[in-house]
Amino acid sequence: MAFAVALLSRTKQYTECPPLMEEEQYIDSRQKLETILKPLEGAEETGLIIHEELCSGCGNCVVACPVNVANDPYGSGRGFGPTNGKVIFRVENGKVKAANIEECRRFGKDRILCRACIDPCPTEAIEFV
Amino acid sequence: MTEPITWTCTGCALLCEDILVYIKDNRVEKVEHACLKGKARVYGCKHTAMSTVDQEEVDINNAIIQAAEILEKASNPSLYGWSNSTSEAQVAGIELAQTLGACIDSTSSFCQGITINEIMNGSIPSCTLEDVREKADVVIYWGADPMSSHPRHLSRYSYFPRGELRQRGYEEDRTAICIDVTESRTAKMCKGMFFRIPPGGDAEFMRALMDGLAGRVPKLSYDFDVKRILELAAVLKKAEFGVIFAGLGLVYSIKEEFDLISEFMSTLNRFSNFFLIPMAGHFNMRGFNHNLHKKTGFIHRLGFTKNGPVSGVEYSVLEQLKHGADAVMVVGSDPLASLPLSITKRLKDIPLILVDPCANLTSRVADVTIPCVASGIEVGGTAVRLDGKNMDISPLIQGDGLSDEMVIRRIMEEVN
Amino acid sequence: MALDVGKFIKAPEYDVKIISRRDVFQASVCEEDRFSDECLELSALIVLDAAEMKRMGIQDGANVRLTSKWGSVVVRARASPREEQKGLGFMVNGPWVNALVSDEAPDGIPAFKDIEAKITISKDGITGIQELHLL
Ligand code: SF4
Ligand code: SF4
Ligand code: SF4
Repeated sequence: MAFAVALLSRTKQYTECPPLMEEEQYIDSRQKLETILKPLEGAEETGLIIHEELCSGCGNCVVACPVNVANDPYGSGRGFGPTNGKVIFRVENGKVKAANIEECRRFGKDRILCRACIDPCPTEAIEFV
Repeated sequence: MTEPITWTCTGCALLCEDILVYIKDNRVEKVEHACLKGKARVYGCKHTAMSTVDQEEVDINNAIIQAAEILEKASNPSLYGWSNSTSEAQVAGIELAQTLGACIDSTSSFCQGITINEIMNGSIPSCTLEDVREKADVVIYWGADPMSSHPRHLSRYSYFPRGELRQRGYEEDRTAICIDVTESRTAKMCKGMFFRIPPGGDAEFMRALMDGLAGRVPKLSYDFDVKRILELAAVLKKAEFGVIFAGLGLVYSIKEEFDLISEFMSTLNRFSNFFLIPMAGHFNMRGFNHNLHKKTGFIHRLGFTKNGPVSGVEYSVLEQLKHGADAVMVVGSDPLASLPLSITKRLKDIPLILVDPCANLTSRVADVTIPCVASGIEVGGTAVRLDGKNMDISPLIQGDGLSDEMVIRRIMEEVN
Repeated sequence: MALDVGKFIKAPEYDVKIISRRDVFQASVCEEDRFSDECLELSALIVLDAAEMKRMGIQDGANVRLTSKWGSVVVRARASPREEQKGLGFMVNGPWVNALVSDEAPDGIPAFKDIEAKITISKDGITGIQELHLL
């Protein structure tokens, strides 16, 4: 189970499970896993996917993300574009870009199921897998 | 990487002043914090306008002389557009109209002009976007969908940011309400607070809300859960600082009984503290209203007649295009794309001049096209934000083209 | 030669009230290039309630002809991802919807958000911008 969680939170890859990769009897399971995990490709380490084509650069996520607010209270927290490099979201050339994902509240030891960037997105451009 | 320039975006009337633009070799390399619409504005249009007379390329001076000739010869010239121009260009345009004895009107004529007028004459209380950010706890998007028209509206000012009196974040501190005919992208942000009304149902909904506020049971001719209206009235009553963002959905629906809005605001303010802000679209739509008002006492639909400046529907761009004008000069607009074709058809039969940075549908039929540089990109100036605040616009790059203001002043010299 | 019966059967016509609105994606691509395919794709479009479309026999993505007293255009029909009120259609501001707007505006404001039209499935291609302006 711990391995499964690690798998989903992207701290482990399924290729890191030796029996799955090496033993014949797991071929089916391996293929199944491959299809399930397919959408994770292209996701950030933490499972964050931004569908750029859907993003309008509105900045809702930039201002709503608690990490942006905590790390840039007088910039992002007040509705402006981020004023330092410590934020997760910023908008560049009309599209949102993510950085510092390791700070996301969904990960680490006191993780919570934060949705503060998902719900304010008018076009469902942000997803966690 | 080069140092960025802090820039005010002319992509819409929100005039975001926190944009960072990176310039290299006099070209935009990257833009930060602007939405997609702002980004399109910074990078500019792919097809720039050419200097033409009768659709043939000519020297810009010839185009200017030709334009002046057309306007001078006309007995009833009409100047239209202006919402995509700096205040400086608008003022020049108003002077040209006066010199010519022409009609002048802007896109506000069929947009938010009617609302802006009521705010300017004090019938409707209004406030600034900074007030909204610092204080607003209840915001209503009525017939407005800023997520589609002014993308950073909610993130910069009206919902998501922390403000002086709203320190805890939008979930706890602010209530966003949407009243519209469809569940727009903005409605999606207003969880549990979306009120879907039938088209044209705004006035009735407003009256029902007034009933609710006064403790009467609202009556509606269309199917609507009265309980929800009463709940909404209760939310409005409790507001410490409420703001209504009036969109075109509301303005068009209620235009025949527009006084209802000020009546609604006074009723609301017997119980609470509400303001209204018009969702003007183009970056300096409101500037035209302010500038014309300063000069003539009217905000739009103006004729410089023998008896002085007069305003009325007969001087509106629609009436002028339909039958009034015998020559039209368009500045910073594309009427063939943005006005009813049934009306703009006539533009093919009368002399038409276009002053614009970009090739557009109108430039394809114009008798004279005069290219100008884009406002806010190659020329600066001032503009009025949708809430009435004056904003400085600084140019981003050096161009050798003429600004629209310069084009107009040159035409004026030729005319005089 | 087999007779193409379909050719002679008139596709049924339905009433639709068209409301124009704005869209940030369309606005951006059209600002970049008003004559681009992307601008056409996002402008020559009507969005309708999915169930209504089914009732009218219009498939998502099908071409439809919209005809008002003032003009007629062929655009693509798209099902709204959300439920919409019966009889309403939404189009993004631009020359296509403006081809249908009345020239009557006694108060100086055209009925941009209150356009009475008929909708019917069409075999014709989407009206091009050139065509529009020959109308
Ligand atoms: S889940 Fe929460 S903390 Fe993580 S990026 Fe989104 S808003 Fe920020
Ligand atoms: S909220 Fe969505 S659309 Fe807006 S900037 Fe973030 S990802 Fe893009
Ligand atoms: S919201 Fe308007 S002013 Fe702000 S960046 Fe977008 S287009 Fe520019």
